[in-house]
Amino acid sequence: MSDAKAQDDLDTNLQFEPPGSARVTLRGRLNAETTVPCWEHLEHGLQGAKLDKLEVDASGLRVCDGAGLALLRYLNMGRMTPGASVSVSGLEAGLEQMFRAFTEEDYEAFHQPTPAKCHPLPEEVGGAMRQAASDLRQQVEFLGSVAGSLLPTLLNRKRMRWREVLRVFESAGANAVPIVSLVSILVGMIIAFEAVQPLQQFGAQIFIVNMIGLVMVRELGPLLASVLLAGRSGSAFAAEIGTMKVNEELDALQTLGLDPIRFLVVQRITAGIFLTPLLAFYAAFLGIVGGMFVALGLGYPLQLIIHQLTSAVHLRDVVLGTSKALVFGAIVSGVGCLRGLQTREGPSAVGVSTTRAVVTSIVLIVIADAIFSILFFVLTR
Amino acid sequence: MSDKDEIVVAVRNLKVGYGQNVILQDINFQVREGEVFVILGGSGSGKSTLLKNLIGLYTPLQGEVWIEGGNLLAARDDERRLLLRKFGVAYQSGALFGSMTVLENVLLPLDELSPLPEPLKELVAFGKIKLVGLAAAAQKFPSELSGGMQKRAAIARAMALDPDILFLDEPSAGLDPVTSADLDLLIKELAHRFGITFVIVSHELASIYEIADRVIMLDGQARTIVAEGHPAELRDHSTNPWVRRFFNRQPDALASGFHL
Repeated sequence: MSDAKAQDDLDTNLQFEPPGSARVTLRGRLNAETTVPCWEHLEHGLQGAKLDKLEVDASGLRVCDGAGLALLRYLNMGRMTPGASVSVSGLEAGLEQMFRAFTEEDYEAFHQPTPAKCHPLPEEVGGAMRQAASDLRQQVEFLGSVAGSLLPTLLNRKRMRWREVLRVFESAGANAVPIVSLVSILVGMIIAFEAVQPLQQFGAQIFIVNMIGLVMVRELGPLLASVLLAGRSGSAFAAEIGTMKVNEELDALQTLGLDPIRFLVVQRITAGIFLTPLLAFYAAFLGIVGGMFVALGLGYPLQLIIHQLTSAVHLRDVVLGTSKALVFGAIVSGVGCLRGLQTREGPSAVGVSTTRAVVTSIVLIVIADAIFSILFFVLTR
Repeated sequence: MSDKDEIVVAVRNLKVGYGQNVILQDINFQVREGEVFVILGGSGSGKSTLLKNLIGLYTPLQGEVWIEGGNLLAARDDERRLLLRKFGVAYQSGALFGSMTVLENVLLPLDELSPLPEPLKELVAFGKIKLVGLAAAAQKFPSELSGGMQKRAAIARAMALDPDILFLDEPSAGLDPVTSADLDLLIKELAHRFGITFVIVSHELASIYEIADRVIMLDGQARTIVAEGHPAELRDHSTNPWVRRFFNRQPDALASGFHL
């Protein structure tokens, strides 16, 4: 039985004789284009054939690239003719050397499954606990280093690098104003709309102004500002410092005798502490404005709205909101810097640090907020 | 076999730069099939920028780049895709995908672009990895490899689709002499055994003497090619003082601030 097929520059000839044997003769160019039709032709021709012996004559090949060699290796490993002894002959000397350099044993060894790393549950739990304890320790150490560096650096004008503080103020504060404005005004309006109907049942719609005033000043102003800060700037701090670590800039600072905490972290934390209350005030103000729009839309006069607002929001609420914002600002900037300093090696390390910075910041903000609420409740009872 | 004098890369009147800032101009050269062609120049002379213009990453301010008879810059999208298949690129840092193993890196172009049947794709990928001597590291991630191994893996990935031309950016930079010599040997083997054409950006003299069939020398101040030929010929016979100084590693005493 004989069969031949020409595809572009390749001539593939498949002969079945004597019985139980087959011979494949290849002539021309066996490259990426011609290998696919050749593969299909051979697979179709050899399928189901009971063969003891397959001979591949490659002496007529003018060109044989990586794809062609792969086909010859596939045939040589008997993948198309299980049970048959296969021989490939006639390759040009250089190709022959390449062909022989790659044995079936190499390929099998390469396919040996690597044992999956499976740890028992107690070991996993122990590892996670140890990791958490190590992280906590690093946070405490970081807190200590920052506390130790903050005051001496603040008092020394030359070492403080106020220009860097102003740069962070601009990038993290001034540039955040548009997004803070949009989110705050919409949140104020959303809360007002959601509150109108329940309050209407008691004829108390006017109290939406009292509610929004209190909620924005005490709670949502600081919370919105700090969560947006965590997303915009905490992650940026982690990325900036993380990239510096990957680029060995932190090592360079240390070998120059400069402390990275004093040189990079103190400025960012100072800026974070000062700008978060400002952003929180701004967010609270715009949230109230959003609520006022809704109240005006319901037909209440501006004078009455302002009267309700001033009777509901007191100085202690402003103090509470400011205190929260100060702490949240320190958390966001501190965590951003810490995660940046903890950046490990590897291409995904900076990405991991920025994610950790945002997640840790938000978790710690919520924990701190809960502590504030409990403390304030106990103290004002 | 094909005619070895066939021109596979032709650059005509190329002017490269950023906006109004012209970095190189009047760039003209041709690369023949199977040749190891080196673009040489000092730091900041525009070697890597020129390479990025040659491979279509940057658009030149003026001029033409022809790859195997196709104008890369004027080609329509479908023609351009075909032209891009004719060459592979290995970047200075390796640019391996960090989340993938060496094998997955090499398999990626095959999986995405090759019509080969699945069993053959893995054989092709493993063949390339074996060829660059990384069989034992096929299942490792780039972060687990040394600099030299990363460059070898990058070459394996660049060769995955069996391109006719390989562009290499600073292949020997940052490697120890032994690893660098290994890489030189690999380049020579690939050029002579498989007829792959190499266009290499480099300033490593030891490596250039070893591998280059022909070099062009860029001068950052003149903003163009100032010499062309075999490296030994340029070293011994060039009349350009900058070229002679470069090949003979003579320091610029005035520029370095030492007045001995």
